Amino acid sequence: MQVRQYLIRRLMLLPLIMIGVSIIVFTLTRFTGSPVGIYATPNMTPDEVAALEARYRLDEPIPVQYAYWLGGVLRGDLGWSGVSVAPVTEVIGLKMTATLELALAAALIAILGGIALGTIAGVRRNRGPDHAARFFAIAGASTPTFWFGLLLLIPFYLWLDWFPLGRSTPEIFDSITHPTGLYTLDSLLNGNVSAFWDAIRHLVLPAVVLAFGAMAIIVRMMRSSMVETMSEEYVDAARAKGLPEREVVKKHARRNAFVPTATVIGLSFGFLLQGAVAVELIFRWPGLGSWVTSAILSGDQATIMAYVLVTALIFMLVNLAVDIAYAYLDRRVVLGG
Amino acid sequence: MTAVMGEQSSSVDPNTAPRHSASSVRWARRLEVFREVLRNPLTVIGFVIIILFLLMAIFAPLLVGANEPDPYQSPRDWANIDVPPGEAGHVLGTDSTGGDVLYGIVWGSRLSLQLSLTVVISTLVIGTIVGSVAAMRGGRVDNFLMRIVDVFLAIPELIFALAIAAVLGPSFRNIILALAVVFWVKYARIIRGEIIRVKQTDYVAAAKVVGDSTWNVYRKDVLPNAITPMVVQATLDMGNVVLIGAALSYIGLAQAGLTEWGAMVSAGQSGILAGQWWVSTFAGLAILLWALAFNLVGDGLRDVLDPKTEGR
Amino acid sequence: MAHDALLRVEGLTVDFQTSRGLARAVDDVSFSIKRGETLALAGETGCGKSVTARSILRLVPQPPGIYSAGSIYFQGIEESEPLDVLEASEQQVRALRGDRIAMVFQDPSKALNPALTIGRQLGEVFAEHREASVFESAGLGSRSRGASRYLRHRGGLVRRTAYRFTHPSATKRLTEALDERVLQALADTGVPNPRKVMTSYPHELSGGMKQRVMIAQALACDPDLLIADEPTTALDVTIQARILDLLSELQERKGTAILYITHDLSLVRQIADRLAVMYAGRIAEIGDCRDLLSAPLHPYTQGLMNAIPRAETKRGELAAIPGTVPVLIDAPRQCHFVSRCAWAGKACTTHIPGESHPLPDRLVSCLRFESAAAVGAAPGDMPQQYASAEVTT
Repeated sequence: MQVRQYLIRRLMLLPLIMIGVSIIVFTLTRFTGSPVGIYATPNMTPDEVAALEARYRLDEPIPVQYAYWLGGVLRGDLGWSGVSVAPVTEVIGLKMTATLELALAAALIAILGGIALGTIAGVRRNRGPDHAARFFAIAGASTPTFWFGLLLLIPFYLWLDWFPLGRSTPEIFDSITHPTGLYTLDSLLNGNVSAFWDAIRHLVLPAVVLAFGAMAIIVRMMRSSMVETMSEEYVDAARAKGLPEREVVKKHARRNAFVPTATVIGLSFGFLLQGAVAVELIFRWPGLGSWVTSAILSGDQATIMAYVLVTALIFMLVNLAVDIAYAYLDRRVVLGG
Repeated sequence: MTAVMGEQSSSVDPNTAPRHSASSVRWARRLEVFREVLRNPLTVIGFVIIILFLLMAIFAPLLVGANEPDPYQSPRDWANIDVPPGEAGHVLGTDSTGGDVLYGIVWGSRLSLQLSLTVVISTLVIGTIVGSVAAMRGGRVDNFLMRIVDVFLAIPELIFALAIAAVLGPSFRNIILALAVVFWVKYARIIRGEIIRVKQTDYVAAAKVVGDSTWNVYRKDVLPNAITPMVVQATLDMGNVVLIGAALSYIGLAQAGLTEWGAMVSAGQSGILAGQWWVSTFAGLAILLWALAFNLVGDGLRDVLDPKTEGR
Repeated sequence: MAHDALLRVEGLTVDFQTSRGLARAVDDVSFSIKRGETLALAGETGCGKSVTARSILRLVPQPPGIYSAGSIYFQGIEESEPLDVLEASEQQVRALRGDRIAMVFQDPSKALNPALTIGRQLGEVFAEHREASVFESAGLGSRSRGASRYLRHRGGLVRRTAYRFTHPSATKRLTEALDERVLQALADTGVPNPRKVMTSYPHELSGGMKQRVMIAQALACDPDLLIADEPTTALDVTIQARILDLLSELQERKGTAILYITHDLSLVRQIADRLAVMYAGRIAEIGDCRDLLSAPLHPYTQGLMNAIPRAETKRGELAAIPGTVPVLIDAPRQCHFVSRCAWAGKACTTHIPGESHPLPDRLVSCLRFESAAAVGAAPGDMPQQYASAEVTT
């Protein structure tokens, strides 16, 4: 019915936007010195380079070049990654799952923590917990993620040595199979407790640092949303029915407060993807972020462009998922009520 | 024949009420808003911090002197490298090349000011133009422009700016450019939304009925109302731009040794393992205070100008 | 006054903490409602009638509201002792709400939760107050805690979903038992196609239908008292009549007492047995509805009746009461109506009028009906005396 129509419309928009993104990425590649640099490996002969130039029609007008570049992308040819010394497509899967694991862990912390804190703040407005939550929200929005990471590194890694850097201890990591690519999940699937523990130990600190900024955004939105819904007439009507306050807050106020918060959650994932760049760098997490930072320092264009494409795609898909959830939460949006 | 209670006669005689010109009423209202904003102590703190940074930036040469030939490179005191705060005449210590941390922070504020003002003003202008055109023209023009906005919004800000700056080459100038390219879309969307909302109100319809030209309606009725969320967003962005710009320099997209706060954090981080905490900490603190100040003021403005989002 | 009084409000005083000081919304208000009777509480916006109504269910939020003085005694049929709502425990008040005293709100679009179906919302009332009966019809003899939690929607989403999986048939029967009651409640209020309405969301229904649903929800547990807070203000005039008919029909059938809050005097005549007029937080006049409207005694009520334009009113002669409602922060100890009263005397600015009974079934709060000696003021300061010639018909 209408919900499905709405979602189909949104789904159809996605490829159009991705094409737009690809145009932007393509334009950026033409700013570099030699566009062929994306595809060329360091030990190619001039003949091979010339062959590449012909293959991608680099002497033809720009739109043709775009067509061939796009064709290459869709065929899986994203160029040669200088920093990984391999074709981009070979390496990107691994990097992506590493970043996803980190981002999902951070998202979990940010969403659960943010909703809980925001609800308490909204219900106990202008009292103790509210002031604490608002302070937290503003601090989170103003703190540079990379600095926060360094700040936490000092006590937890330097002094206490509780949390190690990197993603895993190589021996333990290699001892299990990796069906999903997510270390935590895989260790559970393998039934290997020490691997799971290893995964968690490495994941905690970077996930917390990453979650900080996103959680602040969610807390703030949830709080203001709760304040608004708590003053709605139907909350009073629920009380007038004799329902206990706890149920009134959870079932009536909070359920409606979720709706605007859902959009913020989608946006905060973008925040997570951005923050991942610095966090991965600091905590030596082998994901897309640290990959692209090395690429920047060595001028590896292919990696950077692939990074932009992949991140935009992930971001769009997450937002789409949020929109689906939103459409189910608030039927009025879809049915235009 | 309903009798609704509460019918009252007005007690003000329109013939003797004092007259105000439209513009003086507007200024009086702005003053009132300003006073209301200042009633919040947090907002006042934000303002104070901003003013301090402003003074720091303007009077940088007087405060710590200007290094030759490039004031944005810290003077190297090679005799006193890695000095902790308070020693050897360096109030906040030095980094591993003898660069004075205080100097970096003060001149860094100039860079932050330059960065944020340039980006915010230019993106405001571009965004307003694009968004206004889209909303006032409507139809295909609107559709086309908004698709472009959607595409830009699909790429997270930092990542987009990162790619642009990487392609153009590492320099502070390119960071400014990259951020300008990325940030304008937000404003386009805000003003387009506001214009569309205002277009549907009754007073605009009334203006049109009276025969006002489109430009006049736009200038007098639409724009003043649409400005509010833009002002709030611009204030917040003054902080956000510096946050993202610092992240970009941290990653390495600015020139080496620049007295930019993000670059300083990066320069100081290897020292952390050796216990030299002061470089990164103070530089990061500067970024935090800058962003905090603008967030506080932006929040305060939003509370006053857009009452439906918050009630104190 | 005694034993067949269902509700007795005595000296209710409610203040609100504002940034400019303590505002008194309700000032020493007293009235009572008998079983099965309809009392209309009328007054203009801001006179305190809504706050009074909400106080009966103790719904006024405690900060910023303060119950400064007074009691609200409620005596249901089962109870032997009247209960003071303002002093009762949280549990006692919750037991009353929705069960013995129910409320219909002004704007049904705002008073129904947009995220829940009608069936869910109505079901809540039954789940909360008729748990035993629901269990019985579901054929579940002993009330397991899990089932109780599921029914009353407590204990967290995880536990409830777990219960649903482990007890599918019990869950199904509970839901059916609940639905049955909801359908019955909807049908009682004349809702057409109750099953469809039950599965609908509020925004899918018309304004009149929503209000019907609200009334169904309020009357679900056969309350002794129904508080209707301007139930037709947000509706079209045509729907208004139907809702009023519905209310009086239901009242006749179930014997519910109704406290009807309104600002529209013309409605009052149709539905109320007795009428209480409020002004600036105080009761101005209470009496039999028809008698009061045809022969109002309080200057405020008289002014209102005068203001109603009639067929004979000449053009340009629309009467209005001059002045505005006073702000009630740190209000002086005087009659609140004094600034707009045509009969006011000096004593009115220094004394608060008490309750007078110039007619057998009439209460008026005006110094015109009190003697100078009783009030303790000089005879020359008293307002002009009541003279029957002044009452307009």
